[in-house]
Amino acid sequence: MIKFTLNGRKVETDAPATARLLDLIREEHLLIGTKEGCGEGECGACSVFVNNLLQNSCLIPIGSIEGADIVTIEGIMETEQFKILDESYSIAGGVQCGYCIPGMVMASAALLTKNPNPSEAEIREGISGNLCRCTGYNMIVDAISKAAKKGDGLWQRK
Amino acid sequence: MAEKIIAYRFDRLDQTLSQLNNENCVIIAGGTDVMVLHKSRRGVPPKIPKPIVFIDHLSELKRVYQNDKDLHIGACCTYSELLEDPFIPSPLKDAIKTIAAPAIRNRGTLGGNICNASPAGDTLPLLYIYNAKLLLRSVKGDRIVAISDFIQGPRRVQRDHNEILAEIILPSILEGGSHVVFEKVGNRNADAIAKVGFAGYIRLNGARIDDVRFAFGAVGPTMVRSMDIEKKLLGKTVPLAAADIAQIVAAFDKIIKPIDDQRSTALYRKTVALNLLRYFLSMKQYQPN
Repeated sequence: MIKFTLNGRKVETDAPATARLLDLIREEHLLIGTKEGCGEGECGACSVFVNNLLQNSCLIPIGSIEGADIVTIEGIMETEQFKILDESYSIAGGVQCGYCIPGMVMASAALLTKNPNPSEAEIREGISGNLCRCTGYNMIVDAISKAAKKGDGLWQRK
Repeated sequence: MAEKIIAYRFDRLDQTLSQLNNENCVIIAGGTDVMVLHKSRRGVPPKIPKPIVFIDHLSELKRVYQNDKDLHIGACCTYSELLEDPFIPSPLKDAIKTIAAPAIRNRGTLGGNICNASPAGDTLPLLYIYNAKLLLRSVKGDRIVAISDFIQGPRRVQRDHNEILAEIILPSILEGGSHVVFEKVGNRNADAIAKVGFAGYIRLNGARIDDVRFAFGAVGPTMVRSMDIEKKLLGKTVPLAAADIAQIVAAFDKIIKPIDDQRSTALYRKTVALNLLRYFLSMKQYQPN
């Protein structure tokens, strides 16, 4: 039995230790904001936080997250930081088909938490593991830059 | 969930080592390679043919410390942890920054990159020119082996089933005074598997070359390095004469034998590898970094 915390709730599962965290989140917990893109860690659509660190849930065997704190896009939706990102992505036109966006927002939040005032180069590096096949990168970069300005001082507060 | 999967996750390294001594297992650190290698259909857990031992949580494998001029790096340190560690020299940090992307750097480990033994392993050219030694630990004790002996071919390493790669030792790396260059060529800056990797190391005494090393990745079954060719440059002065550069490039031209695959062609790989070498040798000056 593997136990961990998912979006603040203690959960346990008897799924095999090699099951992917991504599958568990989507199929057992029906949290479908986290997407599967490439399934090989190259596209970032499945990004979640593991103990506050951005990671690709398609690469995580659940056996290695015993006792860990997992947060998905659903888990941050009530935060002030998410509201600012949500608004900034809308204003900048950062969302096209939307498939990459949950992962992009997780990567954006991870970046801004670590670096609240990133340069454009740092923003591009922060989302370098996330692919947008609509290729709307410039609008996404703009959205993150807007969120940094608007959320000034907010990002390092938990 | 028909098949039963056996997996272990012990609190301590010694318990882990005794399990490995009893049973031949697959070791998972970050899992970023293993999970892709054994990937199944969506929703179906990867099929890994042996029992599994998780090691990425073991604090004994995450220490970074200095021993005289040598740097010891715990094999389960993630790339992100190394980027934040004050002991890690800046050329190594600069190289790590070019590897993968933030999410993978938060999971992938240096030990995992070595044991996966991919011909395109990102850190390998750099570890070869640092003359990295590997500390392998088992219930029987420790042994130390050079990385070039440990890695024997694609996904083939000289690890006994009861051993764990515990530490990566970079000898004399804290001495300073050397100039190190690391280049990775891929289709994308982030998360790409290298088409060509290159690491160059040079240490000068005034303008005279005291030590020089080169390693090439993704152009052969293992990293390409030649001490014989390196020796030809010892005692020469920089900037190097065009004839010396041509001689070294020609020597590597003979031993670099890449292949065509889905990522690149043999011709492209060889051309770029030799261009990177020429670029390194043609530098007008080398600043210790």
